Order: sequence, then structure tokens, then C-alpha cells
Amino acid sequence: MRPGTGLLLAPALVVFAIFAVAFVLFAEVSVATFVPGSTSLAGPATLANYRHVLASPLVHDATVTTVGLAGVMTALTALLGYPLAYVLARTPSATVRRGILFGLVVTFLSGGVTRAYAWLVLLGNRGLVNQLLGAVGVPPLQLVHNKTGVVIGVVHYLLPFFVLTLLGTLKNIPVTLEDVARNLGAPGWRVFLHVTLPLSLPGLVTTSSLTFVGALSAFLFPELLGGGRTHMAASMIYERIVTNYNVPEAAAMASLFLGLALAVLTLFGVLQHRLARRYRLSPPTRL
Amino acid sequence: MSRNDLGGLGGGGRRLEIEGLVKRYGSVPAVDDVTLTVPPGQLLTLLGPSGCGKTTIMRSIAGLVRPDAGRVCIDGRDISAVPPERRATAMLFQSYGLFPHMTVSANVSFGLRMRRRPRTEIAARVTAALTLTRIEELADRYPGQLSGGQQQRVALARALVLEPDVLLLDEPFGALDQALRGHMQVELRRLQQAIAITTLVVTHDQHEAFTLSDLIAVMHAGRIEQVGTPEVIYDRPATRFVAEFVGVENVVGGQIERVVGPTVDVRAGALVARAVPASGMQVGEAALLAVRADSLVIVDPPSPDDVLAAQVTFATNRGGAVLYELTLADGQVLRAAEARRGAAVRAPGTRVGVRVPPARCTVIRP
Repeated sequence: MRPGTGLLLAPALVVFAIFAVAFVLFAEVSVATFVPGSTSLAGPATLANYRHVLASPLVHDATVTTVGLAGVMTALTALLGYPLAYVLARTPSATVRRGILFGLVVTFLSGGVTRAYAWLVLLGNRGLVNQLLGAVGVPPLQLVHNKTGVVIGVVHYLLPFFVLTLLGTLKNIPVTLEDVARNLGAPGWRVFLHVTLPLSLPGLVTTSSLTFVGALSAFLFPELLGGGRTHMAASMIYERIVTNYNVPEAAAMASLFLGLALAVLTLFGVLQHRLARRYRLSPPTRL
Repeated sequence: MSRNDLGGLGGGGRRLEIEGLVKRYGSVPAVDDVTLTVPPGQLLTLLGPSGCGKTTIMRSIAGLVRPDAGRVCIDGRDISAVPPERRATAMLFQSYGLFPHMTVSANVSFGLRMRRRPRTEIAARVTAALTLTRIEELADRYPGQLSGGQQQRVALARALVLEPDVLLLDEPFGALDQALRGHMQVELRRLQQAIAITTLVVTHDQHEAFTLSDLIAVMHAGRIEQVGTPEVIYDRPATRFVAEFVGVENVVGGQIERVVGPTVDVRAGALVARAVPASGMQVGEAALLAVRADSLVIVDPPSPDDVLAAQVTFATNRGGAVLYELTLADGQVLRAAEARRGAAVRAPGTRVGVRVPPARCTVIRP
């Protein structure tokens, strides 16, 4: 290590320390004893909160719902986002590229609450979508105040993250490889299946893991579009605090979900590493 | 090498014809009305500086670029409307474009798998192609584990295994170091002649073009300046651009002074040279005289007859030969190369004579 390198690390260490301290305080709260009817966090350290949370059928249901919905949301985001990212990476038309980027960035920058209410207006029982469906004789569909509404809202929210992250991966795959495959006799869809898709898998896994974690922690859209019936983890933690004032138990739940998110990230990380190694994307230095 | 040694490889030789090809990017023509024929089993090199449109022609033949006008024919059959994956044109890309996620044998078998050939046939043909390019022992490696030369052989095997009608090579040796490049050029030429496959090569390297080709087409700004055998291109460049691009050191402006049978005398200041002209040049017409430095003869000590008086003004020792900059009495500068044969390099200021052998001069219409 060159002299002075330690000094260069200092700012990063300070930032890291602030977050670490915050988390230590947070973990400390999760082992405090809850005194009903008060906001004081006192008493000896205890794992009672964790025991209580782990034993609660409500928490079990919410976990299953959250993980399941996050899976569905990630899959849908990938299905919609991959083609968008692909077009963005490969189109020769600057107009098409700008159009897609504009749409994504507008989504990205407009506030969550605004968007949630926009979805209510569009998808409500007398919303634009149902009016159009009614005009062609389809009975109104229940598109909000249920899981469907939550999924639509969250997928829309996650799409820009997914597309812009995957875009980097796709841009790094040389177009020449696709030309080569065409030249060797592969029609477009087989070029995609045999060359583009496999080479994008490591990036797709990374992008999907970020998307999945984003879906796990969704709070605003389940609250506003879920009609109070769709319980995802973040909403439940929120309720623990604002209706029961049970901050220690909320902290315990949050810690457990943080653990879950980290486990998922690790799992995806291992998968990504395996794929990258299998595809020899970084050639070994030894020849 | 007989046909049998090649495991069924060998194009048998198809004629490649390009007629009136035009491709514009915006309003700039990258390829401007190019017509070209590669005879069956021959190797033609498109030689030109970068951006002259040669790669666009190659990509048009492969179907990866859609030309604005013109046709591409193989053995008289127009393939302009055939999608790239159905053309029998195998292209070797400048960067090789090996699939990093496939082993060497999976790379080589890719085209056959896309054509859904039977397994046993694929195995036999892949083995034959790997043998032909001498990389059998690399079959299970990944591209990331190969050297540049090995990667090129894999790319070549992957193209040849399809027994294409036409082989297209885009700057095939650009990524190799100098020593390996010369070796691979000779090897490629041998292989190409052995299997008699009609081949088009794109390069900006004149030495590569001379080493490889049956025919060379020199390109400039989207047009073909001259097509001919390497000897013709080297000895008788038809335009100033060709002369300068293939490294003719002396291109001087003058005019036709006399017509003597099939030859003419060109005068450029003090210099008078006899040469074969471009067709139908008249006395008094302006002309360019092109002479290679190694065609000029230095006469030392100078004799007064039929020799131009000159003075050495600069000398560059190239090891085995010396390139002299000679200034004539009228201030004109000629470059003459002379084999050193162990002699000392002449010092600047030395007075010498220059002789211009008539058979080695070319007259170009300016």
C-alpha cells in the first residue's frame, strides 16, 4: 500500500461508520422491551420481540405475500424491461432512443404519490381503462385496491431502475457477435437465444436482484393502491409503529426483513458469479 | 494438397459479382457505384485507406448492410434480397467475434447447428475444419484462453466449416503482431489456394495485399481507382492516388514532349523520361510521371552523357538499402533507393548522376 492511501480511504470510512452506527442503534432498539402505552424504550436486552415476530401468523402471511409479490413484480419488470433495454441498446434511431429514455426518466423523476394517484384515476372502477373496456362491452375489472393494483404500481416504479441498469450490460455485448451469428446462419430469434441472452445473463441476474430487493421494500404503492388488503412487509412495520407504538417489535421485523434481503442478494450474487465464470467473460490472465 | 485431405472442404470456386453498388450514409456516399468481379477460386483484395468504403462493400455482400442501389451475384444468381443468415458468404470479422461463452468446438459448430445438420456430420466436419486450421488440440478451450493467432484460426475454421461460396475477410491480420502476421498471411494464402475458395479481403496494408492477392482493387472515397494483378498495381499505377497509396516515391508533374511509337517522352523540368502512357495521350498534354525510388539508378561518379546531374541532400539508412533525397539542377527533388551492399552511405553534398530506365516509368493522366 502506498503511503497516504489510508488517508484517501478516510472519507469512505466516515460514511460507512455513520451507517454502521445507525444500524447498531437500530439493532439496539430491536432488543429493547416494549412498555405498552409509552414510548420509552427501556428494560434489559431481550430477544422477546424476535420470538414474538417469528411466531406471529400475521407476519408469516405478510412474508409469504411480500416474497411472492416481489417475485411476480421482478419477473414482470424483467419481461417488460428486457425488450425496452434491448431496443435502447441497439436501435440506430436517435428518436426512438430519446423517446424511451424520456419516458423512463419522467417516470423516474415524478413523485411516487403523484403516480399512485394517477394510477387510481386510470385504473379505478370508473377510470379511463375501465371506460374504454366498457365501450367495447367488457364488464369493469377490479384493477386497484388489490394485488393487481400494487403490482402495476410497483412494476412501473421499478422499470426505470431495471432498464437503465440492464442497458449497461447489453451495451457491453459487442454488436459484432450478433453480426457473426447472423452471418453463420442464425435468424434473429436464434441470435438472441444463443448469443445475446446467454451473454446478458450475469447482468440480468444482478439487475433482477436489485429489482427484487426494491420490490421487497415497496411501501408507498401497497399502501395507496392495495386498498388496505394487501399486506407487504414495509406496511406492516409501519403499522406496528403508528398504530401500536411498538417500536422495538417494528425494529425486530425490519431487522429480519433486512436479513432476508441480504440473503436474497447473496444468493443472486453467487448465481451471478457462477454464470460469469462459466461464460468466461473475463479471460484468465494465464494463457 | 488434394481435395481428399480437406475433409470435404473446398468451395469449388464460385464467381462473385458486384454491380453498381451504392450505399449512402446521410448524404455522403460510402460506396459510390462500385462494380467488381472476383473470378472463381481467386482472392481479390480491396485496398484503401480507412473510411474508403471497403468494409461497407464487404458487409453488403454478407447482407449486413442494405445497399441503396446495385446487385450482388454469386455465379450469376442475384442474392441481394436474401437475408444474411441464408447467404453462403462466411465473413471473418476484424475482431474475430468468437463467442466467449462457447468452447472452440462449439464456436466452430455454431453455423452447422443453426442449419440443423445431423450430429455425426457436425462432429466430422468440425474435426476436419480444426485439422485444416491446425487447432485440433484447442477444441475444448474457451476463447478467453487463446492467443491472438489461435483465435484467428478458430474464426477461420468457423467460417470454412460451412463450405461457403465466398469467404470474406475484414482486416484479418490487423490484431496480430508483425512476425505472426507475415506467417499467418502465407498460411492463409496456401489454404485459400488449396481449397480454391473465392475470397474477398479488405485491408489498408499494401504489403498484405501484395502477399495475398490474385487481384487488387484500390479504393478511394467510395470508388474503385484501379483493379489489376499485384504486379500491375505495383508497376503501373493508373492514378496519382494509387501511385501514392502503393508507395511510389516519385510522382512529378510534367508534359508529353514527344510520341515515339508506343511510348512517349515526358519532360518535367530537367528530367526527361521515356514511358508507356495511358491510352491516347497527345503531345503537349499535362502528365504525371511515376517512378519508384528503387527504379532510379544512381551513377557515381557522374558521367556527362544521358545522365541527370544531382546532388545528395539527405540520406536515410534503412539497413540493407539507403534512401537518398537527390536535388536536380532545377531544384526538383527525386528519391532514389540503392542497395548498400556493404558500402558507406554517401554524405549530403556528394555530386552524383541519376538515370531513369524507360521501362520502369509510368505516365499517369493528372
